[in-house]
Amino acid sequence: MRKLLAGIAVIGMLFATQATANDPAELSDVEIAHVAYTADNLDIRYAHLALAKSKNPEVHKFAKTMIRDHEAVNEQALALLAKLGAEAKDNFLSQKLNLDGEAIIEKFSALSGAEFDRAYAENELAYHKAVNGLVADVFIPNIDNAEVKALFEEGLKIFQAHESHAEMMVKSLQ
Amino acid sequence: MRAKKLIRRDFLVGAAISVGALTISVKVGSAAEPKTHEVAIRSFKFEPQHLQVEIGDIISWKNEDLAPHTATASDGSWDTGELAKGDSQSIEVVKGMEISYFCAFHPHMKGTIVLK
Repeated sequence: MRKLLAGIAVIGMLFATQATANDPAELSDVEIAHVAYTADNLDIRYAHLALAKSKNPEVHKFAKTMIRDHEAVNEQALALLAKLGAEAKDNFLSQKLNLDGEAIIEKFSALSGAEFDRAYAENELAYHKAVNGLVADVFIPNIDNAEVKALFEEGLKIFQAHESHAEMMVKSLQ
Repeated sequence: MRAKKLIRRDFLVGAAISVGALTISVKVGSAAEPKTHEVAIRSFKFEPQHLQVEIGDIISWKNEDLAPHTATASDGSWDTGELAKGDSQSIEVVKGMEISYFCAFHPHMKGTIVLK
């Protein structure tokens, strides 16, 4: 089934978006690309904040991996868009992600030490879980272009590895 | 003991394999001929995960993932360095080298070298 109800449920729960006209399952390929690029950049921003605020070497290692991997995905995504002669298109979900991201960064900025480390790790786990659900259940089944779909499938493997890594980090910081 | 890091890029590996092939062609039947073992880094796994080698053999890791990876000895004694997608790096197997390794960027990725 192309338009999965599961997708609406995921977004409804995790991004608290009204499932009316703003349905992620209705996004076009270039809008989906924009959401992915936005999600990547947000995680890179969280990671830079972690490098600036945390003194925990494990948190630093994780944050550097997030920057390295998400930059690699973004670079590949931009190269593919250029090859296809397409441009990522802003949309309600990208805007929602950015809005939520700003609130999270503001919250992080007020934390320090072990409290910051735990909040960062927990957010990384929740964020990757949410995005992975969205990519697997909504985006990949609805992407039309085969090359874009293949890139998302490869990206999903990376983000699933990040989710496992974040889970380990959450446990180690408890 | 530190392993020897040999080659940095694919084209050099290719050149090394070509030279190796020539050597093999004039030394057919030599039991002590070092082998080159390829390890693919694919979907966040080392394939094969367990590799049987002999002293003097060469192990070459090639990253096929979009995410950068490394093959790094568990005790830090040898390291391929960062391998971007498509990059290869080779290490010579030496006596006493650390045989367990992992990806320094994704520590759940683990592999072992088994000395025959």
